[in-house]
Amino acid sequence: MTTDRLNIYGTQLDSRMLIGSALYPSPDVMQQSIQACGAQVVTLSLSRQNPQANGGASFWDKIKSLGLHLLPNTAGCHSVSEAVNMAKMSRELFQTDWVKLELVGDDYNLQPDPIELVKATEILLNDGFKVLPYCTDDLVIARHLVELGCEVIMPWGSPIGTAKGLLNPYALQAIRDRFPEITLIVDSGIGKPSHATQALELGVDAILLNTAVAQAKNPVMMATAFARAIEAGRLAYQGGLINERSTAKPSTPTLDKPFWHQVKNG
Amino acid sequence: MPNTPNIAIVGAGLIGRMLAVNLSESRQVTLFDKDDRQGSRSAAHLAAAMLAPLAESADSSRIVMQMGQRSLALWPSLLKKLHQPVFFQQNGSLILAYEQDHGNLVDFGHRIKGEMGKDYTNLTSGQLAELEPELARQPHTFKHVLWLPEEAQLDNRELLESLAKTLEDRNVVWHPNTEVSIENRQVVFDGQRRSFDWVIDCRGLGAKNQIVQTKPGKHKLRGVRGEVVRLYAPEVNLNRPVRLMHPRYPIYIAPKTNHRFVVGATQIETEDQRQPTVRSALELLSACFSVHKGFAEAEILEIKSGLRPAFENNEPKIRVDGTLIQVNGLFRHGYLLAPAIAEQCVALIDSTLPKPPLFELLIEFTENHHD
Repeated sequence: MTTDRLNIYGTQLDSRMLIGSALYPSPDVMQQSIQACGAQVVTLSLSRQNPQANGGASFWDKIKSLGLHLLPNTAGCHSVSEAVNMAKMSRELFQTDWVKLELVGDDYNLQPDPIELVKATEILLNDGFKVLPYCTDDLVIARHLVELGCEVIMPWGSPIGTAKGLLNPYALQAIRDRFPEITLIVDSGIGKPSHATQALELGVDAILLNTAVAQAKNPVMMATAFARAIEAGRLAYQGGLINERSTAKPSTPTLDKPFWHQVKNG
Repeated sequence: MPNTPNIAIVGAGLIGRMLAVNLSESRQVTLFDKDDRQGSRSAAHLAAAMLAPLAESADSSRIVMQMGQRSLALWPSLLKKLHQPVFFQQNGSLILAYEQDHGNLVDFGHRIKGEMGKDYTNLTSGQLAELEPELARQPHTFKHVLWLPEEAQLDNRELLESLAKTLEDRNVVWHPNTEVSIENRQVVFDGQRRSFDWVIDCRGLGAKNQIVQTKPGKHKLRGVRGEVVRLYAPEVNLNRPVRLMHPRYPIYIAPKTNHRFVVGATQIETEDQRQPTVRSALELLSACFSVHKGFAEAEILEIKSGLRPAFENNEPKIRVDGTLIQVNGLFRHGYLLAPAIAEQCVALIDSTLPKPPLFELLIEFTENHHD
């Protein structure tokens, strides 16, 4: 068990939960929630804080003080150049070459723009970034990202903040099966701990979430619930799930009863 | 006033003025402020002054709600003491959401820390039409509405002015536009250094570098940016503040007198002091236009940004260090909490604090004497 770790571009992590830093009732609750779930990666955004003037410094200091891996994102960027600029600014400010690349393709459901995403990924990989692209669950887009050199891809479960869980488990399974070596993280749409468990059970490596914890009635408690659900899902995946059957199969063998007696009017 | 405590209040924003009015009834008070008499640069000048303990409880701790409810009970008698009338309205508030944000509204309702007899109720669109007829005539029907009947609001600038006028009538000495600092519990200004029986630091973010810290980082003060629009909209009639669910923060429309409306507020974790951004202006204005089409021809009277002083738990704190009292961290809840906080400060000075304390963890005594 000790060797079962999450691999992000060569960095080995014990926790399979990545957590966001937005929407908490206070910085203190944010800190307590992050600590409660044991996440080792925290996402954060530069947008709206006027980073040129170091506007968010006191908030970022709070996050930095947790001593975790920082994963800056490009939330709110609509174009390749916007996203590339924000990634560069984040690299400088937070001293990390990791970036969660996010390019909005549709303002209504914040669906990522797959075409622009692939373009921006190429530019940033060539610039030395370790890109964690937020994408849809399209297998072919995943293939393009992997071929460019992404070692991690982050398909959605459902659109950001919708809490609808895994809308298309089949598509996620297909990505998992086609790219067994790639680190697969479900990013966005996770509303309940059971959604996270389901993703881990089908072989997803980790979960990135924010709203489901930050906007819970008790964020610290919910953070703990997710940590346990993710652990359960991972253990279940490794333990090897049994398959569904259409008829009942007694767990205690009933040797005294010929099987044809169980079929009505058989 | 011989033999009465001689008190300095540093910072004449909302809490400074409020304390000055409460204390100057029987004590000698001197006010110091780097700002002008209007308090133009204070967070209090920008705020919408909604008194909404229940709505605010969705994203703050129970103590904030309890202090808010205490303040709500104190406001009417407090306003009666003032020498100029102040618009005060206790007509409830409404929380609306569009269909796509219905989940946000339900979640918001779940987070409200209601108690027996003090909770929100759900309204139908028919009931909404009775309370706000003009909203029922809009092209969009609000199918889901939360109704908080106890919530109130007041006019912040009328209040600041009336507090100032009351202090003036009582001949309270006030040093506006004065660079002032506090050193070893003494007030330093205009090259002078003066001692008082009590020094009360009400400077908000102005005290950022001077907040006493018992444990490292525990009482770190930060600014949280907010942007607010003031509109004159003769075509709009709303009877009470309305909040609209928004994916990032609730946007409120608070109707004041004479068709003036305060629309706010963004809440961004930055100490950026730029003027409001295009994105924020678009969000605020399109939100209020979407609620009521009568805002299309409204006149934009003002659009401003400011910083709210907040501790890391977003709760207020009264810190007592010998004869120095620091009142800070009122965050987005200045008007909601000021009367209750002022009441506790006065009790502290009079040595009449209730035991056990009325509000847990509000007042902290430090052993950290550093002079």
